[in-house]
Amino acid sequence: MRCLVDLLESSIAKKISVALAGILLVGFLAVHLAGNLFLLEGPQAFNGYAEHLANNPLLPAAEILLAALFLWHIAAALVTRAQNRKARPEGYQSQRAKGGRTWGSRSMTATALLLLAFLIVHLKSFRFASDRSDLYALVMKDFQNKYYVGFYVLAMGALALHLSHGIQSAFQTFGVNHPRYTPWIKRTSVVVAVLLAAGFAFLPVWALVAGGAR
Amino acid sequence: MTLDAKVPSGPIEKKWDKHRFDMKLVNPANKRKYDILVVGTGLAGSSAAASLAQLGYNVKVFCLQDSPRRAHSIAAQGGINAAKNYPNDGDSVWRLFYDTVKGGDFRSREANVYRLAQISSSIIDQCVALGVPFAREYGGLLANRSFGGAQVSRTFYARGQTGQQLLLGAYSALIRQVGLGKIQMFTRREMLDLVVADGAARGIICRNLVTGELEAYSGHAVLLCTGGYGNMFYLSTNAAASNVTATWRAYKRGAYFANPCFTQIHPTCIPVTGEHQSKLTLMSESLRNDGRVWVPKKKGDTRAPESIPEAERDYYLERKYPSFGNLVPRDVASRNAKQVIDEGRGVGTTKLAVYLDFADAIRRMGENAIREKYGNLFDMYEHITNENPYKTPMRIYPAVHYTMGGLWVDYNLMTTIPGLFCLGEANFSDHGSNRLGASALMQGLADGYFIIPYTLGGYLSQGPLPKVGTDHPAFRQSENDARGRIDKILAVGGKHSPASFHKRLGAIMWDYCGMSRSETGLRKALVEIPKLRDEFWKGVSVPGGGEEFNQTLERAGRVADFLEFSELVVKDALERRESCGGHFREESQTPDNEAKRDDANFSHVAAWRYQGAGAEPELCKEPLEFEHVHLAQRSYV
Amino acid sequence: MSAGQAGSAGTMHFTLKIWRQKSAKDAGRFVSYEVSGVSPDMSFLEMLDLLNEGLIAKGDEAVAFDHDCREGICGMCSLVINGQAHGPDKNTTACQLYMRRFQSGDTITVEPFRARAFPALRDLAVDRSAFDRIMAAGGFISTNTGSAPEANSVPVPKPKADAAMDAATCIGCGACVAACPNAAAMLFVAAKVSHMALLPQGQPERERRVLAMRKAMDAEGFGNCSNEYECEAACPKGISVSNIARLNREYARAALFFADHAESGKS
Repeated sequence: MRCLVDLLESSIAKKISVALAGILLVGFLAVHLAGNLFLLEGPQAFNGYAEHLANNPLLPAAEILLAALFLWHIAAALVTRAQNRKARPEGYQSQRAKGGRTWGSRSMTATALLLLAFLIVHLKSFRFASDRSDLYALVMKDFQNKYYVGFYVLAMGALALHLSHGIQSAFQTFGVNHPRYTPWIKRTSVVVAVLLAAGFAFLPVWALVAGGAR
Repeated sequence: MTLDAKVPSGPIEKKWDKHRFDMKLVNPANKRKYDILVVGTGLAGSSAAASLAQLGYNVKVFCLQDSPRRAHSIAAQGGINAAKNYPNDGDSVWRLFYDTVKGGDFRSREANVYRLAQISSSIIDQCVALGVPFAREYGGLLANRSFGGAQVSRTFYARGQTGQQLLLGAYSALIRQVGLGKIQMFTRREMLDLVVADGAARGIICRNLVTGELEAYSGHAVLLCTGGYGNMFYLSTNAAASNVTATWRAYKRGAYFANPCFTQIHPTCIPVTGEHQSKLTLMSESLRNDGRVWVPKKKGDTRAPESIPEAERDYYLERKYPSFGNLVPRDVASRNAKQVIDEGRGVGTTKLAVYLDFADAIRRMGENAIREKYGNLFDMYEHITNENPYKTPMRIYPAVHYTMGGLWVDYNLMTTIPGLFCLGEANFSDHGSNRLGASALMQGLADGYFIIPYTLGGYLSQGPLPKVGTDHPAFRQSENDARGRIDKILAVGGKHSPASFHKRLGAIMWDYCGMSRSETGLRKALVEIPKLRDEFWKGVSVPGGGEEFNQTLERAGRVADFLEFSELVVKDALERRESCGGHFREESQTPDNEAKRDDANFSHVAAWRYQGAGAEPELCKEPLEFEHVHLAQRSYV
Repeated sequence: MSAGQAGSAGTMHFTLKIWRQKSAKDAGRFVSYEVSGVSPDMSFLEMLDLLNEGLIAKGDEAVAFDHDCREGICGMCSLVINGQAHGPDKNTTACQLYMRRFQSGDTITVEPFRARAFPALRDLAVDRSAFDRIMAAGGFISTNTGSAPEANSVPVPKPKADAAMDAATCIGCGACVAACPNAAAMLFVAAKVSHMALLPQGQPERERRVLAMRKAMDAEGFGNCSNEYECEAACPKGISVSNIARLNREYARAALFFADHAESGKS
């Protein structure tokens, strides 16, 4: 109980929890991407994988956990954001960076909002679709809509930016900072962010251009 | 009138122990009934406030800045001395005592200096325990270096920021007591007057620098830890706000001012670049450990330093003082720089500089070793001058740095006003006429951590003090006086900024009462200063009011006091017709232009007593006796 | 060295847009000033002195700004110059910023450090006593005068002592807060916590210190750290954000495992 109170009240605990949720979500994204790659194998493989997942008795619990992670990550970040705004009521005429910020760190709020919008659309079209009997067809239908694909690719761009700051930032938040390893962590963060985002973005582009698995 | 320093009897090494035993104690339960006012939060003020609060006293602390951590002790670079003898090179309490008395050119009080040397070791222990990150050897033990004027390595240091680290240590002790409620901290307050009620110091009048309101605080004792008055010279290494106001006001309430003409000119500062300059930056004297001071042999040599061959350079300190070389005491190094510059051998565009060259040291130890030792100083130099000292020699020039003079205090650090104590640079006690490098930090902390906690108790235990609150007439008197001065400044309505008068005063003082002083010059200053003062009171402009945040008003008040105080400095310099330490009278020198003391006539502390506006101050003397360090002409050859 | 002995008047000219605010209660605004005769060897504060000399001569109120040592160590100066705390140079306080860094004719915007926890006082001066309150909560090693052991009785490995010194060089100016997009005070607190957590002398109070200082920091209304690292970039003493990582670590360790938890913040 004490821990929970601290979590809400303490800036550092809050930040650690946001980072922790974020890193777990990156793990989820990796698994999600691996699943998505079944699309390349065609309808049977993909639908088979989907069915296998759906029949797993742990799925509801996993989904609840996942939802909680998302909600906490978003809610705590929003609270943080509101507090930060309050912390500087009178802004600067001009505030110029001195070399600390990156494109990723600067755009965290913007990319977060875009990803949130994407998440809602994404859940609506796949997780909460009315007919989920042929998921492959469902996915392919959307993936052959150029507007949808455009939005998807844009969102993945945001994901890359978000994670390029988010992953290395999480390490800092967990207290991992060492002259020997931090430069490496920073580079790897960017690589992982780009690989994940590119992996996701590849599938709709591939579906749109090549028309899916034949 | 002669002054009684209340030095305890007995052998010198037993005096302090004996005195601590002889003083009565304040019952622990009674300590919380005493309110102590501490003005200033440098090393002396912070350490005193923290230590007294730990004992149980109620302490109120005042500082000019927005935080107690910003006092100018923070800028001390080089180090702090202590007779630990860790390097096994022959140091001892006796040697530190001896060096300090001799370094001070026999114008300090032996008993005080001995006590300082005795206490020095405990200071290091205390600071380390408070988390001061002193430099260490790879084995994990404390590192030492030798420092200007010392032939043993007894200086402890934290890179080039020793003052900062010691002050942050004392500040952390102080702020802990703030958290515990034993200290009430009042920042952005300037003490404008002392309140003396029924013959004892019982309070202060402060101006709240944010609101402009005058505030009165009463207490059972007042500790002035307000630093030195080097800013009287306008250009000095002091902080912009450093001033003489608190001690000058105390002087006007009856505290004697001792040896005001003992000012120290530090040999290694970054030279002036122009008219605009508002302060001088010190380059730690530790640089003289590895840097070599030289000027060209030829007058008016305009060649770049690199293209002046070795044979045409004059390493004048090494030449004249073969055993001390570049490490001669500050006064000697400064005076010699002035001498070669007066001969027309100065360097740089202004010709008001000498070289401090690291080329040999870099060749010997490598650039990295030098960077490790002095990196931040080199960076600072490059930043200010736009020249890289790893490649081209530094240019240095002497600058006003420290004032050995200050309020007269007895062995207990009490001034001539009962209940008014004075600690650190603000008092006159331990450095005689020349302070040795790394001794100021030692003295400030000795006074605050280890002396005042005992002697204050000794004073308070002497008997009950009458109850005096801020409704006492003496408070009204002091407050009215302070308000009157503010109103008077605001009413002038002239055209010239306080800074412009300050600058002119500085020029007078530097020219006639600086590194070298003569009867004619001093007499001239005695004419010029009152003239300037009159101009000030007719021509100063202070826009804005008194009841607001008004930095121009603050400055004007400080300049007004400097304009009065500087006259006393000149009088003291005139009166002391001998050369000693930082006080060099042209009339009193040896054939080879070294300072010549006159022990028969001037082996005393000159303490000045205020006798009212317009009246000549009275000169009172405290004779100095040297039983243990035998009077000798200082020689660093 | 006396006035008038050296150097010549400068030839640079600047337009200054300076934040003027009479007191905490009054609204502030930018006022433009022209200042000429600036020498490239002037510090930024000396340039402001020059401006103020002109204002005072005209009977106008001088621009208030905090400053004291003018050698980059007291931490009193607190200007945001063209949107950057202490101006454009790295590892530099405003008092050590020289006008040679600017081009004659430039327009320079000068603002105070802005944060809710640093309320305005007048013009460019703000109240940074929040830092002192954080320190009072735990920024110390509780050793009463006289009770210290012999200094060399506890060896400190040189790398640790050096790292502690790196953190301890913080001058408490608040540029980290001013530069942080979120007005967070983490770098300041991290420097203090690191300094003492690295030293053996700081161990006995290690946990309660970090817990209490975190609590005090949040109570002052500073923002949250989001690892933008602008603090490090603006810090005149180059304090590394690795100290913030250490603070996070120290805090997590103390919050999870320290038993005397409920007592933290009280002494």
